[in-house]
Amino acid sequence: MSALPLNAASLVEAPEDLDELIEFFHLRRWSDGLPIVPPTRERVQRMLTGSRRQAHEVVARVAPGFGEATVERIAINAVMAGCRVDHLPVLIAATEAISDKSFNLQGIQATTNPVAVWLIINGPLALQLEVNSGMNCLGQGSVANATLGRALRLIMQNIGGALPGDMDRATQGQPGKFSFCCAENEAQSPWLPLQVDRGFAPTQSTVTVVGAAGTHNMNSHAKDADDLIRVVADTMAFPTSNDYWISGEPWIVIGPEHAQILHAAGLTKAEVKQRLWQASGLSAKRMAKVEFQRTHTARCEELGAIDLDSSLPISSHADGVGIVVAGGPGTHSVYVPSFGDTRAVTRLIES
Amino acid sequence: MAKKGLASVVVVSNAFVGLGKAQARSLGHPTLPLAVIAHPFGSRKREELKTVASQCVSQIITLVGLP
Repeated sequence: MSALPLNAASLVEAPEDLDELIEFFHLRRWSDGLPIVPPTRERVQRMLTGSRRQAHEVVARVAPGFGEATVERIAINAVMAGCRVDHLPVLIAATEAISDKSFNLQGIQATTNPVAVWLIINGPLALQLEVNSGMNCLGQGSVANATLGRALRLIMQNIGGALPGDMDRATQGQPGKFSFCCAENEAQSPWLPLQVDRGFAPTQSTVTVVGAAGTHNMNSHAKDADDLIRVVADTMAFPTSNDYWISGEPWIVIGPEHAQILHAAGLTKAEVKQRLWQASGLSAKRMAKVEFQRTHTARCEELGAIDLDSSLPISSHADGVGIVVAGGPGTHSVYVPSFGDTRAVTRLIES
Repeated sequence: MAKKGLASVVVVSNAFVGLGKAQARSLGHPTLPLAVIAHPFGSRKREELKTVASQCVSQIITLVGLP
């Protein structure tokens, strides 16, 4: 019999009774507070069949505890979250993505800010896995949306070590920290999908991770593109946003009806970004004095001299405004301000 | 810095001591010294900060073992 690698997951004796077992996981802080699916050896073995990778291959080291995210450990958390076998490659790609330096997982996991990791799935796999991109795509009701986001949270907590109140220092946190996952509604988008903007082919499936500081509904019955851009940009500009003081990367989930209005006016996605970026300048005098000072320090190289009469751009360039088309019928789009000191990362999902 | 053999101290407010210790352990430096200041820190006035800073410098000197 060959010896197990040093990074092999340990087998733990757990109660057979389901109620006792769930309590066993809660007491050890291995759960997010919700009941888990027991990660028995058999279930984990079955989950591992979802990837061609070796069980003990290290995918990444997850901040802030820098635990080794092996394929096996990712699979264990996937089982616990209720994922299906074919979800595993998405989680492997997502774990790689959050560990990219530009994502700043260290900051996201340990900050007092309410940052959730938003997963956006693109490409044919989104349809195959039935990741909801339509009505209620950021809400409840879809197995993939609920369990993929949950599994990534468990990976960040159990492998990365960011337990609430310990290394996770969020002042309040936010509901998206339980799960925050959707697909792009590529069928109803008038533009090329997100993964193509980010250098992949339409036939490739990707996961994009975003350090999201919340969701804000933008209900507008505007029928005119100029009017719509004006009110969306006005919503983006609020003085307590991290994006302004540090030059962030905010996102807009544009509902299909709003996307059609913009497209009908002849606007490309890049033009919408440009218009939003230009119109969302924040008057520096709206900030608290200390935030203005922080902005002055953090963005002096980028902006040069600024004063209270300056209009501050939300990001250093128009492409810093992220756009994804998602949702169902209705006059709604969603503003997703970012943590600020983070950049979205996209990874290919291995088929 | 500690990995390079340089004397290192982490300055942390008392609300973040647990995080500082856990991070030090995770990064392989469980005995990394922490200079602890009172929380909250961000909302203090400049004059108060000067007092905090001078107390902190004393802690740092002690922690790195300077005479």
